[in-house]
Amino acid sequence: MNPKNTKYSLASEILFVCLAIPGSLGAQASRATLSGTVTGPEGAVVANAKISIKNVATGQSSETQTNSTGQYNLTDLNPGDYEISISADGFTAKAAKVTLAEGARQTMDLALSATSGSGAPPTLGDLGFPAEQSKGNAQEQARLDKRSHMLKMHQRLGLITMAPLLATLLTSNGAAGRKSSLSGRELHGVLGGVTAGLYLTTAYYAIRATTVPGTKTRGPIVLHKALAFIHGPGMVLTPILGAMAYAQRNRGEKVHGIASAHSAVAAVTGVAYGAAMLSVMIKF
Amino acid sequence: MNRKLLMAVLLLAPSTLASADSQWVLGQSTLTYHVSHPLHQSEGISHAARGKGVCHAGQCDFLVAVPVKSFDSGDSNRDLHMLQVTRGAQFPMLTVRIGLPDAALAPATILCDLEIQFAGQTVRYKQVPFQKATQGNETRISGTIPATLSDFKIDPPSLLAVPVKNEMPVRVEMTWRPL
Repeated sequence: MNPKNTKYSLASEILFVCLAIPGSLGAQASRATLSGTVTGPEGAVVANAKISIKNVATGQSSETQTNSTGQYNLTDLNPGDYEISISADGFTAKAAKVTLAEGARQTMDLALSATSGSGAPPTLGDLGFPAEQSKGNAQEQARLDKRSHMLKMHQRLGLITMAPLLATLLTSNGAAGRKSSLSGRELHGVLGGVTAGLYLTTAYYAIRATTVPGTKTRGPIVLHKALAFIHGPGMVLTPILGAMAYAQRNRGEKVHGIASAHSAVAAVTGVAYGAAMLSVMIKF
Repeated sequence: MNRKLLMAVLLLAPSTLASADSQWVLGQSTLTYHVSHPLHQSEGISHAARGKGVCHAGQCDFLVAVPVKSFDSGDSNRDLHMLQVTRGAQFPMLTVRIGLPDAALAPATILCDLEIQFAGQTVRYKQVPFQKATQGNETRISGTIPATLSDFKIDPPSLLAVPVKNEMPVRVEMTWRPL
């Protein structure tokens, strides 16, 4: 064999492989896989169950069977919506829907119920609940757990915030009354700062709490949330106006201008905050 | 001859009735849980239960299932909180299984042994009384399941750091009809 020809042949093979590999890899990456385990009413695996899958858009279908451990594996599926049907001797046939994303390796475990009419006790499969309604979702549970944790922190901090809030209100006379003093103003200011800081942390936990899609807000929580639109801006505005009033008093001036609204804004904010607490404590 | 035949029919009749195969389906239903908190009482109601009963060879088996998510207390925040503490997303169905001899269905008060699967736990309640009232071909069953949160290893939900009481009785009102 001519060594020159061998070189050309090798080069063309390498070129072919280089060109072919990315193409085939790309094709493999876009294909999806669906696998899972088929079980009976008591959780025992069902061997030799027939699984048919049909692409809703193209009508293309394929079939497989579960192995001795009840497992099935459907490979080389195009992304899209599928209808899957499962049948096995002694069990009621079942159908389910699944959407496969590009390159997905999805798992779908399927539970079959025993054929009725034989006097067998009824199973969940006999009741006709949609699969998505009766199948657990660990991700959704994790989302709820996180939401609950955030709101628990929100509640606790909200209660704690009440203490410096009340103390700030109680020390307001020493800061702005006839017997006001620099130390009284400073104490009031520090307590106000602590209140604002705790309040913002409390608000953070409510705002960042995970929302659950499809949930319509109903009940006392509607009022609780609405009141936040009053005490929220109030909790930001009150310390700003308080700082302005503090500076004016320390310069020996009478509190004037927008700073004179400090106590009124603080009062409205405090009332709205208290009402927000009551809204979840008292059943309406 | 006729007398012998009549005697045979009379003797056989009860056993024939007892072994009569029948199926039942749950029509309307109302399941209400009740929780108590020092600040207020709450109830969550579901009408979404589905059920089926099979009587065969003198034994009746009933299954009632209800999505945990379907309980509505009128407060979305409370419902989500209950869903979380009962692990309702991970274990979305509450199922109740009842197995009893069909003769036990005859009295006006039926004592049932219940097997309840809820929040990832299986709990059995013995001899729970249910009242039975029959109207036409419909049978109304009502009673209260004496459930507690600790039975199902549920951390009591709390409001303002105060937990609800452990008792969570579930009132059941169901209408069954033969298939």
